[in-house]
Amino acid sequence: MLSSTLLLLLLCGPLAATAIIFLLPSRETSLRLVEGVHLLSLVVVLALTIEILRRILAGAGVSAFGDWFFVDALGAIFLGLIGIVGFLSGAYSIQYIRHDLHAGILDARRVKIYYALFSLFIATMLLSVISNNIVMMWVAVEATTLGSAFLVGLYGQKTSLEAAWKYVIICTVGVAFGLYGTVLTFANGSEVLGNAEGAILWSTIVSHASALDPMTSKLAFVFVLVGFGTKAGLFPMHAWLPDAHSEAPSPVSALLSGVLLNCALLVVIRYYAITLRAVGPEFPQMLLMLLGGLSIAVAALLFYVQQDLKRKLAYSSVEHIGLMALGLGIGGPLGVGAALLHAVNHSFAKSLLFCGSGNVLMKYGTRDLRSVKGMLRVAPISGLLLMGGALALAGLPPFNIFVSEFMVFVAGIQAGYIWVMILCGLFFTVTVGGLIQIISGSVLGKSPESLARGDVGWRALTPMVILFALVLAMGVNVPRPVSALLQDASAIVIGEHASIAFTTPWQFWSGEGADGNAHSRRIVTAAGTASHTETNQ
Amino acid sequence: MLSYTLVNGLAGLLIVTSQMVILAKTSRDSAKFYAIQSLVLVLIFLTLAKIQGNEELYLWSVSAFITKVVFVPLVALKVFGKLHDEKLGGGGGLPPILSIALSGVVVILCFVVVLGVSLPGAASIKPALAVSLAHFFLGLSCIVTQRNILKQVFGYCLMENGSHLTLALLASGAPELVEVGIATDAIFAVVVMAVLGTRIFQKLQTLDARQLTSLKG
Repeated sequence: MLSSTLLLLLLCGPLAATAIIFLLPSRETSLRLVEGVHLLSLVVVLALTIEILRRILAGAGVSAFGDWFFVDALGAIFLGLIGIVGFLSGAYSIQYIRHDLHAGILDARRVKIYYALFSLFIATMLLSVISNNIVMMWVAVEATTLGSAFLVGLYGQKTSLEAAWKYVIICTVGVAFGLYGTVLTFANGSEVLGNAEGAILWSTIVSHASALDPMTSKLAFVFVLVGFGTKAGLFPMHAWLPDAHSEAPSPVSALLSGVLLNCALLVVIRYYAITLRAVGPEFPQMLLMLLGGLSIAVAALLFYVQQDLKRKLAYSSVEHIGLMALGLGIGGPLGVGAALLHAVNHSFAKSLLFCGSGNVLMKYGTRDLRSVKGMLRVAPISGLLLMGGALALAGLPPFNIFVSEFMVFVAGIQAGYIWVMILCGLFFTVTVGGLIQIISGSVLGKSPESLARGDVGWRALTPMVILFALVLAMGVNVPRPVSALLQDASAIVIGEHASIAFTTPWQFWSGEGADGNAHSRRIVTAAGTASHTETNQ
Repeated sequence: MLSYTLVNGLAGLLIVTSQMVILAKTSRDSAKFYAIQSLVLVLIFLTLAKIQGNEELYLWSVSAFITKVVFVPLVALKVFGKLHDEKLGGGGGLPPILSIALSGVVVILCFVVVLGVSLPGAASIKPALAVSLAHFFLGLSCIVTQRNILKQVFGYCLMENGSHLTLALLASGAPELVEVGIATDAIFAVVVMAVLGTRIFQKLQTLDARQLTSLKG
């Protein structure tokens, strides 16, 4: 199949599903058909994503529509997340939404709207990660807000409508800043290239970035960081995030936190790559470290004081996006690669926990941690999965978050930011305290006598078990294809290729690095050192 | 003879009309003033198209006329006309004198920023560029200072007009499809906000943003 066909099918699949679901009647009898179309579209997206990843790993290019759409190693990482997490949270939706329908929380019409908008949301996120046209990139990120706003306000309650309103206003305003950054970059590129066709493509701009006007590039990066940083949930533009993530249906929260934030971060990373080449590393890295560090500090403290499980998880997302920004700000192949690996790891762990919060809602009917007690006794498998997710999020080995957090800290210390990393370590300790509260009270505590025993159904548990397996697998052994993608992706960002194996510490110690022992050793020695790098361009 | 002086002059008129949108007593009046402002924007596009001999900008003028002078004000008149918060009225924002003073400060600051930008192709349109940036921030200040959520929607529309003008000034060579994408997003944004605003009013019987404070912390 031609690569251009692959990308068009990838977009058309979920869009077609949206149209078909909207056309189906809003009756409970049509529910199975709606679910079928929904699942089929997600399976198609997953299958196409896997095929695209296979081609990228084989070194083949994937592009379409005159290079307006393309997938490189950097985009492939985020595309993979949409495929995997989109499919698993979509599969989880089946049981969750059926529960809401039977409980009278949703009616058949809203269930139909839910599934139609779910596919639309997936399509807009796909568009954002495969856009090479910088204006289309902006259009796609803006469209993710519009596609998901009604998902956030689906329940129609006072709080969910309020969350949806804040989400739309803050994100559209924020992303409007992104448009300014986009236009400035395009104008800057047009001056250098002398033609508009080339200046609209990210791949062309980045290859000519060293000739861009430095002042305009700096201004554009500030606008982009504020704009897309709002959508990524970076402090101080994060105000929409705790409300939207807590009020949305849990599978949507998983998508918002596990995928959407990463899509916005990808756009920031693409402009980071341009700015690095245009003005050097100091300016963009300083801004990213500043916003990343502040996000970690503020989110850690707010995380600790929350009593609402989903709100707690939402603040944790701000904290982890902050860590990714910090890794990018530290820079070098290890800092950037660690940030990208953390994006993958956080996506799996947070989706697992948001699905877990859905199980809590199905069993207890509340997200208030003061009322959610003894999950392990009430719903044992859900309890174990929730506990596993919480331990992973706390950064404990052998789970995946530990690996990428460890890499960011190593990168920071090697780059000389010892005090910054110590401070971040302290804030992450505060988060561990909050997660232990969840485990000791809500998972292990004494369950209410009146609550019926018995777990939620297999339709909800299976996707969570797969997510947990991914969390564990990525913590035990970073697969070679993932490590290879991370190497290539960090090379795309910084413009230099470094032979760093992105492995777990135990792979490193046992000499099972992706490219053998010699490369594995470089995990702790190569960050930012020119001696191990070779110019890529 | 059309010149960039006319473009810069019309851009200045955008600031005046933006104040009319912000300070209007009712959202229906804001919608009408927004239509007038969008007409000024279309005139700027037409002037730029004539000066530069740019075919794309003629198309932009047509699409901006349809979407901003006709469609968005019609949606606003039809949807917002049914929503009226007795307690809040059309106000809830800054007093007129403060609003006008703020716009002056914003315009001056934007001039300072734009003077620092080195884009040879944009030298003759720097006043218009500064106004477009200022217009964007005036829209933002409208969203931040207005309590009426419908006025916040108009604040977004003002921001969008500002960025649209910047786009025309700096990126008029961009393919038409790009402009269509941006315009489509802007229309959907207004429609989504209008639907959400209506649902909030039906549920809470208020348009006051300060009443939307259940979610805290």
